Amino acid sequence: MNSEAKLTKAGATKKRKRIASLDARKARAGWVFVLPFVLSFIIIYLPIVIDSIKYSFNKIKIGQGGGYTLEFVGWENYQEALFVDPKFVQTLTSGIQQLIFDIPAIVIFSLFIAVLLNQKMAGRAAFRAIFFIPVIISTGIVDQIDQANTMLDYMSDTEEGINDGSGQNATAEILSAVDIERLFENMKVGTELVDYVVSMVNNIYDIINRSGVQMLIYLAGLQSISPAIYESCSIDGASAWETFWKVTFPMISPMILVNAIYTVIDSFTSQSNTVMTYISSVYDTAGGNVLSSAMSWIYFLIVLVIIGLVAALLSAYVFYQKRD
Amino acid sequence: MNSQQTSNAPRVMKESKNKIRVEFERTPLKDRLKARFLNMNFFKNVVVRIFTYVLLIGISYVILFPFFAKISGSFMGKEDFVDVTVKLIPKYPTLDTYKAIISENGYFTALFNTFTLSALCGLIQTFVCCFIGYGLAKFKFKGNKLIFFLVIFTMVIPHRTLQLSMFMKFRYFDILGIFDLLGGGVFEWLRILPFSSINLNNTYWPLALLSFGGLAFKNGLYIFMMRQFFHGVPDELEESAYIDGSGVFRTFLQIILPLSVPMMITIFLFAFSWQWTDNFYTTVFFTKTGMTLMPDIVGVPATLDTQYAAQNLYESAIRNTCGLLILLPLLVMYVFLQRYLIGGIERSGIVG
Repeated sequence: MNSEAKLTKAGATKKRKRIASLDARKARAGWVFVLPFVLSFIIIYLPIVIDSIKYSFNKIKIGQGGGYTLEFVGWENYQEALFVDPKFVQTLTSGIQQLIFDIPAIVIFSLFIAVLLNQKMAGRAAFRAIFFIPVIISTGIVDQIDQANTMLDYMSDTEEGINDGSGQNATAEILSAVDIERLFENMKVGTELVDYVVSMVNNIYDIINRSGVQMLIYLAGLQSISPAIYESCSIDGASAWETFWKVTFPMISPMILVNAIYTVIDSFTSQSNTVMTYISSVYDTAGGNVLSSAMSWIYFLIVLVIIGLVAALLSAYVFYQKRD
Repeated sequence: MNSQQTSNAPRVMKESKNKIRVEFERTPLKDRLKARFLNMNFFKNVVVRIFTYVLLIGISYVILFPFFAKISGSFMGKEDFVDVTVKLIPKYPTLDTYKAIISENGYFTALFNTFTLSALCGLIQTFVCCFIGYGLAKFKFKGNKLIFFLVIFTMVIPHRTLQLSMFMKFRYFDILGIFDLLGGGVFEWLRILPFSSINLNNTYWPLALLSFGGLAFKNGLYIFMMRQFFHGVPDELEESAYIDGSGVFRTFLQIILPLSVPMMITIFLFAFSWQWTDNFYTTVFFTKTGMTLMPDIVGVPATLDTQYAAQNLYESAIRNTCGLLILLPLLVMYVFLQRYLIGGIERSGIVG
């Protein structure tokens, strides 16, 4: 109190000091706000990460008294994962290949649906409510139950053409694949594209399930585009198609970057992906817990590289609107 | 239109002092309808609408069909699974599956435990992430960028990677080696505590502690969403509060928090339901015998006889029924809170 009273009477130099101290006080308040994260990051998370790296270089033995002993073995776990284990490298490459195909599909599909759901139409609220059900529900244990679901396949057997995913629905899958293949053969496009589209259609359930959060993010982005821009477009006589490519797409492009990165993170860390399933099955085998640590660190490095690539590639094309 | 008006011009008649009556020949209904409906623009709109609705209804079907299948499967008696003619509508409807799961798999214990755990974690995470997001969005201090990077970092690390060390951390819980030091682990003479570490597994503590730090499942995403939301809140609001003499924390509690309720409900919905169905942390920190949680009730009850022809199908139907029972409370909550989910996200302005 006293010092403040002095400061008000002081000259210009003191005044500058006071402004700086307000900034300092705000900075201190900022630290208080992030303190829970910083503290527990240092106390809990960092040791966990360091331990995990440490374990991956050790063999572990749990003693009878409740303690455990570590035995340093160097790169042995990594060598075992990469060269001895028969299935790890194979699962890794096929899993990553699958994810690289899935990610553009999810990003494009969710953008498409978000644009559809952003229009004014009857029943929009109901459709939105239905489309976001998978966000809440298709995770964790329910996802795990759906992984090998013989009942669903059986039930959907009569529904030709539509594959509701989650397993080997032989008849439906073949039907839809053949139809689409025939359609695309007539259009004379490459077989790679045909295969890609066919696999996308077969995985449609999976893709819908995994694009919920992305849809929400896109919708938020679409809402933030000023209606004035669309209005001026329609006055100038632009068609809906042109408006999408010249206005919506550039304006939404930061969101595409965010979503691409989120999708990479989400699909690589989700438990339903094959690599994760394999790693967790290794974790459950005897003495496999350190091996699975090593495996997941290898996996993490690959994920980091892919995120870096995606971010570098997309950020070259992202358009940021200058906001005052 | 114009030519018609000139040929039979409207007649204006004075009815009373302040009233006039205009008589004119309206364009016949047929012509008006023609002008309205028989043009390219209207036709195009109709086609686009039909296409949109077909697509949306089709995808809704893909999303909802598994639910209908699961629901009908849960009411089927075991005879239905052998009968080839039965697909979606059971011929021998029964509630046995539900009864067996609820009584034998300990559904209500699991419901209670999971509800406590999810509500606890959901509430803590909502407030903590709101707090951290506000700090990251509205204050410029050294290390702000670094902390944001760390938040993203916690999101990127697959939690499988940390499975073993997380288990170890909370099995032999210790804060920076203090318990070890006081428990005589370093120096034998310094034994103040009777233990050198605490076993926190099979309690709510590991997840509560992780939630307090904003480190639990997908908390990076929540913090990111909160930060983007607060970026969209105009600074002038707080500045006027500061000028009126309110401190930083009072401003946060009385002005910012009420503003962000829809966003917080969204976060709570995510946190609660992802914790509810989570089977990673629950398997790491809890053993089945220690505490029954939702993932533990998935299994085939002993009294249901599955040893015959359609065994696979029947067991799968039972597991799906377990899934339905797990989801039931979530669905009820979703029905009430979904409008906040969509409204909250729309106001969040998650822009780059």
